[in-house]
Amino acid sequence: MARSVWKGPFVDGYLLKKAEAARASGRNDVIKIWSRRSTILPQFVGLVFGVYNGHKFLPVQVSENMVGHKFGEFSPTRTYNGHAADKKAKRS
Amino acid sequence: MKTQLVHIGTIGKPHGVRGLVHLHPCVENPKDLEKYGELVDDRGERWTISWQSGKVAALYDSQKKRIDDRNAVEKLTNRKLYIPRNLLPEPEEEEFYFSDLIGLQAKIRHEDQSEELFGTVHIVHDYGAGVSLEIKRDQGENALIPFTKICVPEIDIKSGWLLICPPNEVEVRPSNTKDQS
Repeated sequence: MARSVWKGPFVDGYLLKKAEAARASGRNDVIKIWSRRSTILPQFVGLVFGVYNGHKFLPVQVSENMVGHKFGEFSPTRTYNGHAADKKAKRS
Repeated sequence: MKTQLVHIGTIGKPHGVRGLVHLHPCVENPKDLEKYGELVDDRGERWTISWQSGKVAALYDSQKKRIDDRNAVEKLTNRKLYIPRNLLPEPEEEEFYFSDLIGLQAKIRHEDQSEELFGTVHIVHDYGAGVSLEIKRDQGENALIPFTKICVPEIDIKSGWLLICPPNEVEVRPSNTKDQS
C-alpha cells in the first residue's frame, strides 16, 4: 500500500467545495481542474470534470468504478494516435 | 454516390524473405481483417490478408495470388487499407462508430430556435472516463464536449450534423485555495 490508511485519500480541499457547489446547483457544469493528483471520492460520482493534461481539459465523467483512482489517470498526457476504426461510442 | 471508406489497417515493413508483412490493424479485433474479405488500399488496389503469427500476415492480390516476394511487398509499405463503411455491423441504439462521428457538423440552437454552425467534430476521445468530442472551430480554440444526451441531444449522421449544448465551465485554479479556505 503506497499511502498509510490512517492518512486517508489525498484530495485538494478546494475540489470538495467546488464539487459540492456544482452538485447543489444541479447544472450541467464542467469543473475545470489542474489537480491531477487528487483521488476521486464517492462525492464526485455523477459530476463532469475537465482534467488538464498540459494541453487541454479532457472531460472526465466520474462513475462509481473510478472511485479511488486519481483524476490524472483519465486524462493522458501523451499523444494518442487514434482509436480503432470500428470502435463505438455510447452516448450516456 | 461515393462509397464511404473506413481505414482499418496499414501495411508495415516486410517480414522474412517469403513475402510476409507486418500489418498494423486499426480495429478492435484484428481477426476481423480476414472476415471483411477484400480490402482496398489508397491506390485502389484490392488485397486479401491471412494472419500467420502475431501481427504478421500474408497478402493475396485481386486474383487471389499470394505475394511471395519480399521485394514486391517492400513496395507496399505504409499503404493504408480500407473497407466500405457498410461492411461494419450496424451499431446498437445510442451507439455510434467513431468514424461516423468524425467530420459531422456541430450546430448550436439558440433560444429562438435558430441554428448556428459551431464547428466540425475533429477527434473523438475515449480514455475510460466517458466519450468526448473535440470540435474544431474556424475561429478560436477547439471545444471539448462530453458525449452525453444533455450535451449532444440530437445526432443525424445521414444529414451530417449533430446538435450540441456546450456545458458551462467552472475553473478551479490552485491559486484560489487561500481565497476559498
